[in-house]
Formats: sequence, C-alpha cells, structure tokens
Amino acid sequence: MNPSSWISKIRSCLNLFEQDIEIENLEKKWLYVATIMVGFFVIVMGIGALVLNVNPPSHWETIDSASLHLSSEFAEDKLGVQPMALPDGTIQVQLVAARYGFYPREIVVPADQKIQFRMATLDVLHGAHIPMTNMSTMIVPGHVSEVTTVFPKPGEYPLLCNEYCGMGHDHMWSKVTVLSQDEWAALKTGGKQP
Amino acid sequence: MKGILLAAICCLFNEAVMAEPSSLVAWTPDTLNRLKKGNAEHGKELSGTCAGCHNETNANPQLDGQLPTYIYKQLVDYKNGNRKDPTTAMNGLASTLSDQDMTDVSAWYGQQAPIQGKGGGNDTTGIVFKGDGKRMEPSCSSCHGYSGQGEKVDTPRLAGQKADYLEKTLLAYKSGVRGNDIYSRMRLIASKLSDQEIKQLADYYSKLD
Repeated sequence: MNPSSWISKIRSCLNLFEQDIEIENLEKKWLYVATIMVGFFVIVMGIGALVLNVNPPSHWETIDSASLHLSSEFAEDKLGVQPMALPDGTIQVQLVAARYGFYPREIVVPADQKIQFRMATLDVLHGAHIPMTNMSTMIVPGHVSEVTTVFPKPGEYPLLCNEYCGMGHDHMWSKVTVLSQDEWAALKTGGKQP
Repeated sequence: MKGILLAAICCLFNEAVMAEPSSLVAWTPDTLNRLKKGNAEHGKELSGTCAGCHNETNANPQLDGQLPTYIYKQLVDYKNGNRKDPTTAMNGLASTLSDQDMTDVSAWYGQQAPIQGKGGGNDTTGIVFKGDGKRMEPSCSSCHGYSGQGEKVDTPRLAGQKADYLEKTLLAYKSGVRGNDIYSRMRLIASKLSDQEIKQLADYYSKLD
C-alpha cells in the first residue's frame, strides 16, 4: 500500500470521528490537557536521555552462559564481593543467577559507597531487584548485566528475581546485608570479608 | 611483543590461582546436539558392564529412564575426578570410556522404561512442593519436576530410585563429599536439611511411580 492511500484512509477515519462521535467540551479540554502532558513528559525524557545522559542501566557485554562456571570472572570461587575495590573506591560484586537463586546466596556490602554489580545467568532470563532501592535490572542469557548503585540505608534486603523463570521463581531470592561505613571498616579490619 | 608476553603471563597466573571447577561439563549447543545423536545400540553393548552393579539387588542407583544428560555429566565428572566414587570403581570405569561411549550409554539408558516406585509416598516434610522460605530452601519439585521425573537440562529423575541411595546422596551433598553440582546448588540445599528430613525425602521419592 502506498503512502497516499494510507493518508486517505487516515483522513476518512478522522472524518468518521468528527461526524459520528460527539465529544463534550469538557471532555475535549481534558483530552488536550492529557495530550499536552504526554508531550511534555516525552520532551523531558528526551532531554534527560539525550542531553543529561540519564538512561536505564544497560551494558553491552556478551558471555557464554552455558560455560559460565568455566569462565575466569564467574568461576565458582570468584563470586561475591571482590576483595579489592576498583581504583575509584567502587566495590565490585560478581553474582550468578541460576534457577533458583543468586549465587552466592548471601552478600555483605557497605552503605554510602558505590557498588558495582556484575551479573550473568547460567540458564534462562532472570531479573535482579532489591526492593526499596534503585537496584533493578534484567539478566539476559549470553550477556553480562552491570549496574552501579549506592545503598543509603544500612539493613537487610532481599535480592529478588522479578522475571518469571520457572516453577521455583517464587523461591528465587538471596540476602543482601548493607552495613554502615563504621561496621564495614570494623569488618574489614577485624572480621572476615564475605 | 611485550604486551603479548604480559598477557600470556597474566593468563597463566589467572589459571594457576583459579580453583578447580565443580564440573567441566558445559551445556553448549554442541554437547546437547551430540547427546541427541547418541547411538543407543552401541550403548546397549556397553551397558552389559554397567548392569553387573546397577541392578535391583544391590545398593547402586538404577539407571533405567534416567535423563541422558544427567548420566553423561556424571560419567564425565567421574572420568575427570570431579565426582569421586568412594570405591573408585566408577572413576576407574569412566576413565576407560571415550566421549562417544559415554554419549551412547547415556542414550541407551535414557530410552529405557523409567523405574517405578511402589506408590503410597507421602511428603511429611512439606518441602517437596512448598520448600521453606525461612531457610531460603526452594521446593524439590521446582527443579526435579512435579512427579520427580527430572527436568532439563540435567536435573535427575528421582521417582522410584532406591531410598538408601537417595539418602546417601543427599548426605554426601550435605557433608560436601559430593561436590560436582555447579555453583554448589545441591550442596546449599542439602546443607539446610536435617538428617531426618533427608530420610523422609528419600523415602517419599523412592515410592513415587
């Protein structure tokens, strides 16, 4: 179908709209308000994304999910909070999502410090979400998901899977303990790093 | 040149400090396709040796109707030493098999009619279908199937298996004697079960038909 026939079709639809449907004045006003609001938010989002570079967490890096346990980064003894922080002080955490849990099952991280999660899945699509924080992402087979966040409040948080992944999906959660900076320093000097 | 040397040294160092993985089996499309094309007739010839120990009368697990992927993984793990047989019999036997042999014998057992329990099983732990959220314990059925029939890729069939073998296996996972489960998934689950629960679960699955 060529563009001119599309245009004529749209025109005829608009004519029908004008002829057959009566719209109350008040309703029309609200339609304008809603349209303006939608337009306004699209512009705000556009400026945010294109000018201020505010984007959802995304990270393009591939990995072979089938042999994840044989890779150097996600080997079984390399998971969890890394003993050495990155040069800028960010703490890196390697996690594997597999039916039905995040491995390691429990991690301890500090508050008020950048935490970079690097996650991969061994099997199917999973989600990683820590309620009451902005840590949330999808973990797609064949890709490494990377999210950097700061936990402002110490406490115990669940790390949940929020993409339906199978019969045990509702059991798929692990524990994240966020310590205050003081507790973290004490743990690093006197305790054992998890 | 310097860069290449440095990278090689880094790689060597990295390999040296990496602990041995729990299994060298990876479910790549190549491996899965190869398993689908296993020669069951050749597997039948090989299974004559297996049947001497894997039968109804002794304590070893029965293999009829088991998932080919599971049998193949166990054989490879025995061969590589990732799974250790206390009697070393399986390690010795597996080391004599080629990759094709392991594929074929897995295909043969996968095609047999599955073993059946006597029926009348009752889950007294509540873990089979519900798990235990307080212990972060998923339900058995979420991975092993609603009827204990096993699930893709390599979660074994449990229904009808010998209770003593199931109990021994769960206890071995619990103590860490058996550790060829990738990312310790079964070890973590078994470590949270009491010995009594392990006995009850073994009894339940052995009775499933």
